[in-house]
Amino acid sequence: MKKQPIPPRWADWLLEVFVAPPLREDVQGDLHEVFYKRTEQEGLSKARREFIWAVLHYINPYFFKARQRTNRQSDYPSPSYLHPAMLRNYLTIALRTLAHNKAYSIINVVGLSIGLAAAMLIILYTKDEVSYDRFHTNNPNLYRITSRDITPGDQKPSYNTNTGIFQGPKFTAGTPEIQSFVRFQSGQSDIRQGNEVKSQEMFSTDPEFFQLFSFPLLSGDPKTALSRPKTVVISEDMAEKQFGTTDALGKIMFIKTEAQFEPYTVTGVAVKCPQNSSIKFDVLLPITVSKEDIARSDNWFSFFLNTFVLVRPNANIKAVEATMNRIYQTDAKNTILEMAKKFGIKSKTIYSLQPLTEMHLSTDLPVNNGLVDESRPTFSYILSGIALFVLLIACINFVNLTVARSLKRAKEIGVRKVVGGGRNQLIIQFLGESFLLCFVAFVLAIVLLLLVLPTFNQLANKALSFAYLLDVKLIAGYIGLFLVTGLLAGFYPAIVLSGFSPVQSLYSRFRFAGRNYLQRGLIVLQFSLASFLIVATLTINSQLNYLTTKSLGYDDRNLVAVNKSSLNHSEARLLKSELMKFPTIVDVAPKNRGFWGTVAKVNGEKQLSFAYETVDEMYLPLLKIPILAGRNFSPDFPSDSTQSVLVNESFVKEAGWKNPIGQEVNFFAYEIPERYKVIGVVKDYHFAALNQKIRPQLFTMKPKNDFGKAFVKIKPHTETESLRAIEQTFKKLFPINPYSYSFLDQDNLKKYESEAKWRQIMLFGAILTIFISCIGLLGLATLAAERRTKEIGIRKVLGASVSSIVQLLSSDFLRLVGFSFVLAFPAAYFAIDKWLENYPYRIEISAWTFALAALLAILIAFFTVSFQSIRAAMSNPVKSLRSE
Amino acid sequence: MRRAFLGEFEEIVLLVVAACPAEAYGVTIWEDLQQQTGRSITMSAVHATLYRLEEKGFLSSTMGGATAERGGRRKRFFTLTALGVRALNDVQQVRSRLWQAIPPGKFQLIGG
Repeated sequence: MKKQPIPPRWADWLLEVFVAPPLREDVQGDLHEVFYKRTEQEGLSKARREFIWAVLHYINPYFFKARQRTNRQSDYPSPSYLHPAMLRNYLTIALRTLAHNKAYSIINVVGLSIGLAAAMLIILYTKDEVSYDRFHTNNPNLYRITSRDITPGDQKPSYNTNTGIFQGPKFTAGTPEIQSFVRFQSGQSDIRQGNEVKSQEMFSTDPEFFQLFSFPLLSGDPKTALSRPKTVVISEDMAEKQFGTTDALGKIMFIKTEAQFEPYTVTGVAVKCPQNSSIKFDVLLPITVSKEDIARSDNWFSFFLNTFVLVRPNANIKAVEATMNRIYQTDAKNTILEMAKKFGIKSKTIYSLQPLTEMHLSTDLPVNNGLVDESRPTFSYILSGIALFVLLIACINFVNLTVARSLKRAKEIGVRKVVGGGRNQLIIQFLGESFLLCFVAFVLAIVLLLLVLPTFNQLANKALSFAYLLDVKLIAGYIGLFLVTGLLAGFYPAIVLSGFSPVQSLYSRFRFAGRNYLQRGLIVLQFSLASFLIVATLTINSQLNYLTTKSLGYDDRNLVAVNKSSLNHSEARLLKSELMKFPTIVDVAPKNRGFWGTVAKVNGEKQLSFAYETVDEMYLPLLKIPILAGRNFSPDFPSDSTQSVLVNESFVKEAGWKNPIGQEVNFFAYEIPERYKVIGVVKDYHFAALNQKIRPQLFTMKPKNDFGKAFVKIKPHTETESLRAIEQTFKKLFPINPYSYSFLDQDNLKKYESEAKWRQIMLFGAILTIFISCIGLLGLATLAAERRTKEIGIRKVLGASVSSIVQLLSSDFLRLVGFSFVLAFPAAYFAIDKWLENYPYRIEISAWTFALAALLAILIAFFTVSFQSIRAAMSNPVKSLRSE
Repeated sequence: MRRAFLGEFEEIVLLVVAACPAEAYGVTIWEDLQQQTGRSITMSAVHATLYRLEEKGFLSSTMGGATAERGGRRKRFFTLTALGVRALNDVQQVRSRLWQAIPPGKFQLIGG
């Protein structure tokens, strides 16, 4: 047979390129027809030449641009996937499927929205955490002067975030790169408010404060506000409280910084400090440094305030630090030698600069001494982890349920493919559906967020507001989150479902091959995360219980602490004798305020640092602290106050004494060294919080040491009368001192606030995770039960009992949950072990925790699954078998 | 009344389509045109004119069934629309009016 002649391929190709699709078929057809005719009449080569010539005439814009014209429509149009009609169809189908499967839709949307809300909340939280102190316009050139002491032989340097009066001015004077400095010292002073006297936290600072930091003033000149003595800048809140108006410029406030109340002129009213600021002040005074202090060069060694510096832009910080240390070594040379000789200090101090913005989340160099809101980065990490868990689990649910539900939609996909739906079209459809759900979930998430924000603020000790969300970066972040979630949740179903072969899917015995592994894997992962969190919550809970219920070694019940600054010994005696007149008061014991510490030498040379407590003979009996050896202070021995001390067990151990009574403690650091004899050993008690180890402690009655507070033991259930008595007495004796009291047992509980917060947040996370896992499991169990309706019917007809069917339906899932423990428990063990290392006094990790967690998880899973399986097992087999 | 703007070539193509006894499509129209006018015409000119006439509404087209002889490609058949008929009538009326307006004997004077 003769080979059919064909027109030149390249010309044909050219024709296809240059003639628009709607015209292509008939034009090409006509040309080919002519070509065949001419081949017969004139021969192949002439026909080819004519064909090429003809084709070249089609290369013009008319044919190239020809579009679908009004009355020219292809008989079989193939509209784009995004044709409005198709979009409408997708939407209709999506809404129908959602409405048809209400349970799944709700599970999907609620699960996702909880996940999203958690993620949003955490983004808010972390955003707030990292935004600390970033609002100052002088960033990133603001630094805090910090130092570290390196002792030869010690690996870990000891960090110091505070400085003294010299570092700021001297470093600034000697380092051209440092533009200015601000010292920031916190203190407590009394102010007169109407007829009352109140104790108020105040800060003393340098006049450049408002130039360095961006705290706007409502009124007053930021340049000169603090340049004169006896001036004060107050916050708007303070102005409101003090004067009843924020228009307080030029008004007088009475503040007692030294011995008596003195008038201070208000030279500025500041806008309330931002929530995310480490510096929060209500009252700012100009710092006063006496001439004597400036003259004493050993003030290089007195650290009690924060110093901030403004460094020139682009300055080399390493070089600045080097200059600072050079200045220190030169200026303080003699003092360093002197101190080394006097106190035997071997350590070397090295100054460095810490960027202001790193303060808030620093572990080694935290904020303190007047700077507030100390935070740990771990907190952010853990929270982000939980949010990620929850979001991950919600996504897993979504994928799981959508893929599972696809069993029912296999027919729809088959039909769509048969009538010409392409794979891309199906992918768009399924992705679109997942985005639709995601969008609904997003809206719901925002509503949820608004609902839980107040509670969360309380838990996390924050003042986050929804307005925080309105930030370009965050909105971009949320849109990103939306896209990622929608894509993640829709991607797998879209790809898998669109890959179905129509023949297979229309043939009703269609089964998914690899799907089960994925589904099982995802269930295992979900429950691993959930049981991990259960273990963590249980551990934190028992550790907190341990901390709050462990005996502290003393009796803190019915003890009222009353603060009075510089309470001298005669005042203390007076207070006691006055209070003892009331029948409800058991006894009174004064003590120094806060924690004092000092160093002394024992055994001749050995230096020991310890907590230094000034008490009287009533303190130990009042708190029921036992004395193990020797005796307590006693009025029978008048020399006790000047010659004797008591020490605790840890002190004895550190000192290495076999026979502690009669040993000598040498306070060599005083101007005139003092020596004391140990007359008794006190049983160790937890004078600090339980997350600190018991340190050596020493008790003295030295008359020169003022007390700072008095413990008043009251009879049980007499709080009202006793407090009234204490207040009356206090006001009568010390009318110009602010009165404040607290119950010691409540104070002790407050020390574990951070642990309590941890517990709440962990519990919150665990409940969320479990809840979302469970609704996912519920969805899958429902599907499994539905898929096996006929099987269940036949089993029942053949005599299977309800319990055996429940077992049949539940055992699969429970096995998976059981398997998840294999993954979760080692990880949980590792994590809680690490966490517990933070506590010197901690619980043992017990197998019971894990057993309880496992039991809980299995019970919850069983309950969830049986909810469905019992219903399936109870159903009438007639119904399920008839529905063919 | 809408004026029919018909170019000379368009008019001829339209007339050829009208005169075609069977169903008219690209090739037949092209062949008839060459035959009737004796001119050599490119296929692309015919196609372009046909499509333009269709856009103007003088012609309508439908795709035929699949064919065997041209690689299975379908033919596009053109038929005159009512508008097309009216346009041709208009043109003819204008022409006959003009013909009648020529004074008798004028052609003999010129042509001899």
